[in-house]
Amino acid sequence: MTQMVQIFLLGMSLGGVYALMAAGLTIVFGVMRIVNIAHAAFMFIAAYITYFLFQSFGVDPILSILVTMPVMYLLGVVVYRLVFARIADSSRFAELTVLLTFSLALVIEGLLGAMFTNIYRSTNPRYATDAILFGNFYLPEGQFYATLISLALLGGLWLFLRTTRTGYAIRAAMQNRTAAQVVGVDVSRISTIAFGLGMAMAGASGSLSSFLFTFFPGKHWEWVAILLSLIVLGGMGSLLGSLVGAFALAVSAAYVSYFYGPTWSPITFFLALFLILMFRPRGLFGKPMEA
Amino acid sequence: MLLEVQNVHAGYGAGPSILQGLSMAVEKGQSYCIIGPNGAGKSTLLKVICGLLHPRQGQVLFKGNPIHTLRTDQILMQGISFVPQDRSLFPDMTVRENLRMGGYILKDRKEVERRIDAVYELFPLLKERGNQLAKTLSGGQQQMLAIGRSMVLRPEIIMLDEPSLGLAPKIARQIFDSIQFLKQGGMTVLLVEQNARLGLKSADWGFVLDLGKMSFDGPADSILADERIQELYLGRQKPPRGGETA
Ligand SMILES: Nc1ncnc2c1ncn2[C@@H]1O[C@H](COP(=O)(O)OP(=O)(O)OP(=O)(O)O)[C@@H](O)[C@H]1O
Ligand SMILES: [Mg+2]
Repeated sequence: MTQMVQIFLLGMSLGGVYALMAAGLTIVFGVMRIVNIAHAAFMFIAAYITYFLFQSFGVDPILSILVTMPVMYLLGVVVYRLVFARIADSSRFAELTVLLTFSLALVIEGLLGAMFTNIYRSTNPRYATDAILFGNFYLPEGQFYATLISLALLGGLWLFLRTTRTGYAIRAAMQNRTAAQVVGVDVSRISTIAFGLGMAMAGASGSLSSFLFTFFPGKHWEWVAILLSLIVLGGMGSLLGSLVGAFALAVSAAYVSYFYGPTWSPITFFLALFLILMFRPRGLFGKPMEA
Repeated sequence: MLLEVQNVHAGYGAGPSILQGLSMAVEKGQSYCIIGPNGAGKSTLLKVICGLLHPRQGQVLFKGNPIHTLRTDQILMQGISFVPQDRSLFPDMTVRENLRMGGYILKDRKEVERRIDAVYELFPLLKERGNQLAKTLSGGQQQMLAIGRSMVLRPEIIMLDEPSLGLAPKIARQIFDSIQFLKQGGMTVLLVEQNARLGLKSADWGFVLDLGKMSFDGPADSILADERIQELYLGRQKPPRGGETA
């Protein structure tokens, strides 16, 4: 029993980071209907920035979030303006974004490969290997911090969306784009901000991933698949859904890993994706599929 | 003239022009009903007026000033509000939050809250449901909320696209009663209505939109009485030509 609780805690302590990744993807999908296949690639840019700062200047990976979030926000704004804004009115927007984000992912992968080679990397601050004891249970210190920070950032995002004028506008655009336009929301400006925010989330989760997982440029594909399963489980476009999906799958993966070995844990996500699409395509919190 | 549409051509993306040289004029304090077959471009016309779609040619004048190059928020600021065909609410926001979004372009939050209270006086039912999510309202209540939301800006012109769509006849009449009430308050009403009889009965003036243009306009009651228009657009049951002798 103790062991089961321990596994549950381990799963939960990764769920926060998954949720942060999924939130970034969800906000971009929710406002712009862009399924950002390059989300994990953007996360990797942040992971490599963090790695670079850590190796060269000894900057703490958690602290480097202060760099990666604004940098990724700006990168997001630029990418949105250059790549997506100009096709926003196209009737083929959905198809185009899949192709565009796919090629963005390839470009990023290539650039990262050229700059950092294809060797496995990770940052190794002290807390990456230490554990914290809570009575009979333990948590890897890095996972514990990462989840706390993720939850704090998600809380900040929640407050932002609930209390600020821009936040209201973003939620409005997520819920009904036409309605948002009709009340005078500049949807193009809001889309730019939302894309930037999604990328800032990718930035923070990239920094946190740098000491939780090992990474090399091509590995972002595995992450995209995982992230897609999280947001499909939650219901595409639902922030609460992506949060619940993230924790549910993180915990499931922890159990699978315990019972069948760590190599099987990624299968949890893909199997879940498959089952959800078969039996409840709209996910836990999603609206029924519409055009 | 409060609002003038002059020789407007408009369409979507690279597609064909849906409106092809459309002109119309709207006077202050009157109510207008636009009818026409499905796909004629009625909704497209309202989108052009409120800046959701920019014309390819021609112009839209509000109080003599061109507005067809302005953004929707700028046009809203001038005093033209639009309630789209599908009502376009924010389903996961409460009634009050929806109304608050109606005042999105106003910077003064306190003023917005005051105006919401004024809307509540107009539609007490919305006040009762203030904390309910918009998606949990009935069709008629949703339409009321959509109208209430556009009232927050106290527009001079309110444009409504098929407000009776999908509503039971009794509820539709209630909605039309409240539109009538707005008109009595001095507002100019521009209405597109699939239910042409209901729409024309409540309007002063009627327009018939067909083939990208206004093919006919006149006092609403004379349009209602016009044999030819009845046959073409009001769906009057009449045996087909020559059918009687068959
Ligand atoms: N967003 C859009 N993109 C491309 N074409 C569109 C779009 N919206 C409308 N159309 C086309 O423009 C034409 C006119 O549409 P519009 O919605 O203005 O007609 P309508 O008179 O309002 O019809 P209805 O009575 O069915 O509401 C139609 O042929 C429609 O297919
Ligand atoms: Mg229409």
